[in-house]
Amino acid sequence: MSRSPEAANPEAADAALPAAGAINRRDVLRTMAALTAGAAVGLRSPPVLAQAKRFDGVTLRGACFQHVFHENVKAYLPEFEKATGMKVEIDLQAFPVYNQRMDLELSTQGSSYDFINITFPYSGRWVGAGWLAPLDSFVSDRNQTPAEWNPDDFVSGTQTPFRGKDGKTYGFAWEAGAMMMGIARYDLIEKAGLNIPETLEELAAVCAAVHGKDGVAAYVNDKLHHWNFPPYLMNMGGKVFRKAPDDLMPTLDTPEAARAAQYYGDLLSKYGPQGVLSFTDDQALRSQTEGRANIRTNAMAWVLPLAKRADSKVKETARFGMIPKGAGGSFPGCNANGYGIPVGARQKEAAWAFIQWATSKETFRRIAFERGGLAVPRRSIIDDPEYRKVLNINGQDVAALYLQILERAGEGNYMSYRTVPVFPQVGDKINKAIERIASRQQSAEASMATAQAEAVADLRKAGVAL
Amino acid sequence: MSISTKVSDYAAASDGRGAAIGALPHFERQRIRFFWMLLTPVLVILAIVTLLPTIYLLVTSFTPLSLATPGTAWNFSDPLANYKVLFGDSRLHNSLWVQLKLSFFTVVLQLLLGLVVALLLNMRTALMEALRSTFLVPMVLPPIVVAIIWKVLYSPDISPAWWIFKALGWSVATPITDANWALTAIIIADTWEWFPFTMLIILAALSMMPEELREAARIDGATSWQLTWFVTLPYLRNTLLVAGLFRLIDSIKTFPLIYILTDGGPGTVTEVSNYYVFSQSFNYSYIGYSSAVTMVLLAITLLLSWIIIRVVAGESRVD
Repeated sequence: MSRSPEAANPEAADAALPAAGAINRRDVLRTMAALTAGAAVGLRSPPVLAQAKRFDGVTLRGACFQHVFHENVKAYLPEFEKATGMKVEIDLQAFPVYNQRMDLELSTQGSSYDFINITFPYSGRWVGAGWLAPLDSFVSDRNQTPAEWNPDDFVSGTQTPFRGKDGKTYGFAWEAGAMMMGIARYDLIEKAGLNIPETLEELAAVCAAVHGKDGVAAYVNDKLHHWNFPPYLMNMGGKVFRKAPDDLMPTLDTPEAARAAQYYGDLLSKYGPQGVLSFTDDQALRSQTEGRANIRTNAMAWVLPLAKRADSKVKETARFGMIPKGAGGSFPGCNANGYGIPVGARQKEAAWAFIQWATSKETFRRIAFERGGLAVPRRSIIDDPEYRKVLNINGQDVAALYLQILERAGEGNYMSYRTVPVFPQVGDKINKAIERIASRQQSAEASMATAQAEAVADLRKAGVAL
Repeated sequence: MSISTKVSDYAAASDGRGAAIGALPHFERQRIRFFWMLLTPVLVILAIVTLLPTIYLLVTSFTPLSLATPGTAWNFSDPLANYKVLFGDSRLHNSLWVQLKLSFFTVVLQLLLGLVVALLLNMRTALMEALRSTFLVPMVLPPIVVAIIWKVLYSPDISPAWWIFKALGWSVATPITDANWALTAIIIADTWEWFPFTMLIILAALSMMPEELREAARIDGATSWQLTWFVTLPYLRNTLLVAGLFRLIDSIKTFPLIYILTDGGPGTVTEVSNYYVFSQSFNYSYIGYSSAVTMVLLAITLLLSWIIIRVVAGESRVD
């Protein structure tokens, strides 16, 4: 390899350059290196910098019980992930499994999940025990939450379960569940010369008149009696507790409770399909959408599919009504499930970004109008004329019915029985009592007395002063 | 060192316990030391894995520990409170009674069915050889899958059996929601799942049975029935006891079938003690109380196992 004269004699080379001393060979080399590096950075970095997202590289983990709402959220997740840069994994579990696992996870202040579903009957327990992080600072921080997100837009009753005694907010609702009556085969009721039942007597008469007609069972419900039964109990003048949340003495052995339990047990055993005592929500819904069972009282999310699900065979004959009232009045069940952040979560800001997006007006609006998730907790959507139009089903204004129930539930705080920390124990006693009555093991009086004794013993075990 | 010296050392060692190790020959002491060196890690692991949790369970049973109530973890103010509640807990007593019925019927049925099928499969024909592995299928399936299979079979709206009943015009109630049949439904499913286990153990014992025993009886003119009754069954007595013990211990741990099929219901007719403990701990967070119940169950299981082992050991000595 030949060498250039400059290389062989550096001084000569230096002399060959323009004098001035400002530029020498090293400077040229440095400049070239800098330009090369700059070009390299220039080619790659600017687009990255331009697209830098706040949660790039974050993987957010959440857990929820299986519900169609979370499936709807999942459908829109790619858009959220694209906008924020984070990846969201939602672990969906069956309702009882989820609650058991989450109870354990939260009590150990674990950090497996960044956000969770706050289950309505467990809200008092989880919020009260200090297992969830308060969200107020996120809501009030304009860098994290824009003003138009507006927490005041949530129907007030739906936020009650997520407020602690300290006045702080520990969750935001994704569902405003209002219990109503869904009728799959109204044509059979019409054929019998009857109407939508408005009282418990009428409901019993309708069931007696249409049971077995066209091979259809008159009544169906799932096995969560602790949710399905209390409206019947209260409509007949009974209560779960003497005065929840202040006086938690169970009142399951009153004459009203025995009458209500007998009534509800009869609906299941006399007018229910075979095996109804083991039915899950899905099974009960399917029996209605396939036209094998007629009347069910449950949350709107479980009865609306009669008219809205693509594969429903009863779209034309579906009707809706209030839960029939009794001598004690009308106490339709109402619930709200929400999203919250475990106190041990490590990525709280990212979790809040997700919750904020999932419970935003825009997401609720899309889920309601594009995917039929109509049990929304935001008033601005319920008041939307389009929402009213969607919920006008077979000539019925179901939106008005929904609002009526939500407003009724807000009166007198009668749903507070369900959010006391010890409700799961008492709810289990109700489940077992109804099963004993419907399977003819015990009379209603005896079964409810057993439930009362067991509930009292359990509450004492939990240290509740009775 | 002569052999006689070693023997005398041994004798001295076995006489005086305190000075036994010191009196042993050097190589023997080394052997024992080596033996303990190998055994110690296993014993330590065993203690960590089984003994410590059991001790923790025992300690917890003296507290009112509830996950929902902070500060109850080390509260020993009334250490016997859980045990006092336990004696007056009618639902626990009911669960023990249900457990007794479930254990009795499943163990008896599994032993009987396992014995009959094992005796049939012991006939070494090509068909029986082929059938052997088929019979093992229920046992090798994950318990949750077995539970789902039976859930489908017992659910009228999706069960092939109920489609047939319907086609025949029969109205058959589903057993899992019928208070009179729910436990039977569990017993049937559990027997289906686990009789292959007893069958396998009995089959193994039969394969080792000396043919001379049966041959001698045949020469003496014994019929097939007499051979089974007077030769085979006495030979299998201890095997049946051991298989029964295994199944008894397992029956006390029954969980997936009840969880999936009946959830302990209707009411509490299928709520066994194991399931009751589960709901007390994981549904209501009564960890202290459920630990106390678990300690009692552990004691019962150990007692039953001890009795059966004594019976088997006694029979062996008589033999």
